Amino acid sequence: MRARDYMSLAIDQLRRRKVVTGLCSAGISIGCAAIIVAMSLGQSAQIYAEKELNSFLKMDEITVTPIQNKGDEVNKDVDNRGKLTKQKLNLVRNLPHVKAASPFEEVGYFSMHTTDDRSNNVQVIGTDLEQLANFNHQFRQGGPSDVADTIILNYGAEYGLLDRATLEPLIQKQNQDPFNEEITQQLENIQKLHTPLFQRQVRFERADTADQHKPTTSTMRITSVIKKPADASTDSAKYDKKAYTSLETAALIREQLKLNQGPDAPPASEVGTYKSILVKVDDQNNVEQVEKQIKKLMLNTQTNLKQKERLEDTFKMVRTIALGVGLFVLVIASISIVVAMTMSTHQRRRQIGIMKVLGANLRQIRNMFIIEAALLGLLGGLIGVMISYWLVWGINGAAARATEAGQGFIFIPLINIPLGIFFAVLTGVLSGIYPALSASRTDALTAIKRD
Amino acid sequence: MLKVEQLSHTFRNGPELTKVLHHIDFQVDKGDMIALLGSSGSGKSTLLNLMAGLMKPTEGTIYIAGHDIVKMNENQLAEFRRSNIGFIFQAYELIPNLTVRENIELPLVFQGISPSKRKEKAKQLLEQVGIPDKGELFTSQLSGGQQQRVSIARSLITEPSVIFADEPTGNLDTRTEEEIIAILKHLNKTMSTTFIIVTHEREVADHTKRVITLRDGHLVEDQAPVTVEGGTA
Repeated sequence: MRARDYMSLAIDQLRRRKVVTGLCSAGISIGCAAIIVAMSLGQSAQIYAEKELNSFLKMDEITVTPIQNKGDEVNKDVDNRGKLTKQKLNLVRNLPHVKAASPFEEVGYFSMHTTDDRSNNVQVIGTDLEQLANFNHQFRQGGPSDVADTIILNYGAEYGLLDRATLEPLIQKQNQDPFNEEITQQLENIQKLHTPLFQRQVRFERADTADQHKPTTSTMRITSVIKKPADASTDSAKYDKKAYTSLETAALIREQLKLNQGPDAPPASEVGTYKSILVKVDDQNNVEQVEKQIKKLMLNTQTNLKQKERLEDTFKMVRTIALGVGLFVLVIASISIVVAMTMSTHQRRRQIGIMKVLGANLRQIRNMFIIEAALLGLLGGLIGVMISYWLVWGINGAAARATEAGQGFIFIPLINIPLGIFFAVLTGVLSGIYPALSASRTDALTAIKRD
Repeated sequence: MLKVEQLSHTFRNGPELTKVLHHIDFQVDKGDMIALLGSSGSGKSTLLNLMAGLMKPTEGTIYIAGHDIVKMNENQLAEFRRSNIGFIFQAYELIPNLTVRENIELPLVFQGISPSKRKEKAKQLLEQVGIPDKGELFTSQLSGGQQQRVSIARSLITEPSVIFADEPTGNLDTRTEEEIIAILKHLNKTMSTTFIIVTHEREVADHTKRVITLRDGHLVEDQAPVTVEGGTA
């Protein structure tokens, strides 16, 4: 028997028995949609979480620090060889897959005051300002300047500035009543207040000292403001407050804020060496390879790959559970096919009997029923794909209305569509086996016998 | 062409055994048209089912075109029936959801013959049985006589060695019965196909070249029918 004949006989049966075809397809389509949506939810959630994590933890970046020992005579040689020098920085910059490498030295967290005495807390970082663009920082206003005492603010640093007279009573109230939702809400609302600071002058003040006359810097001009990172949500970007300065200005701030004084003061960097550099890699997948190369230069490295691995492990579990739920629904749906096909076998006993008398063998009868069941599965699978797109569209719509982001994060990876259809056809075939065997075992003579 | 040797068959009904055929022996030559005549319960339908390989006999052998069909398994029998045996049923046994042409083509579908060849053969047979314009109709749109013509065409499409007709005129009026008998006789003559017709009507049996009469499972008579004029048919 030709494949085309099997198909046309099966299609004819499906077309004739519209109600049974409809019911079976509906059952299997729900199962197929459940698999596609469940798997897509798992994968979308993982990608969303990775994106969010990447915006915070910068998965494609490596922090490089010198190897430092106790400074005794025995380890002095190791200390010298483990220094993070300008030459090593240049070598790192020339490594394969390295997009950019630049010193990023944290000066500290300070209170930033405007000339009209509004303030917020920012993290000050000394770096090569010309290199900022290579670390995916796009300038919304202005750009890097060669002039000393200039700074660049990130997106979040322009938010949450408030005058001391307003802020201090609020903080005092919160300290007294930490679970007061109204105060918490007021403080959150303050974080959303925007103050344009481009070309304005600010100064930094140490907040960690009890001195009445807190050390403060000279006024510095803001020559540029960075755009909100594309992969970060507006809320998270507003809480991330940074001020970038040149390495020279960073040294000046340290000096003015007296950070180099006192017993706990960190040692100043030697000329031509750095405390920390940041390396941007062209792809997350190449981070490990680049990290190995950097380690060969006698340097310490630190990445966030471990967090990613942990996240992948968690989502592997989520995906397995989702697939299990989808398969369970599909198994339930397959019962409808078994019932409908078995009923159909009984209704068509006479027809099967005639076919056997005319020379159809067991295999041919069996194949006819299995192909019919597979077609039911395919039909259910195709309808299931449509249902899954509607479901995802609905969920995304609801998520967009419910969240500030205004858009849903669920998408259907293309691989899930053939996978869903495969499971649907497989369910059809497996459900069709019993009815097919039962049909092929029909005794021709009994089937065509008339009372 | 067809040889039945010492064929016996017993049905089991619970603990009870009923012997319905007793040591039947006969032989049919190629191109013959014979009638198996007998009243209800004589064993004629059981004999036909055994010869068609739809049942296994308790004893004896059946040879068709040199093959011992008793020794064949279910699949071998299906394949043997497909190319060597044609069937004509009293109730036509056509498949209602297929067109007339598709019904006629069905045995060739199981043989894996290409659609174009099937179509061409079905068209020729439709002309031979006198319904050339009914090919695309469904069987429910045909009269009883026309449906039996479709059944005849279907039995002939594989050019079988032998055609078994089980009460082929049982559901038809006298005029249609004569038409169908005429078609069978004509096909037997022109195509040299062997016909074995099971009937309980002496009038139908008298149209054949030889009548085998069964009574209570015994072959009681095997002779050429006697015509009104006193000669043989």
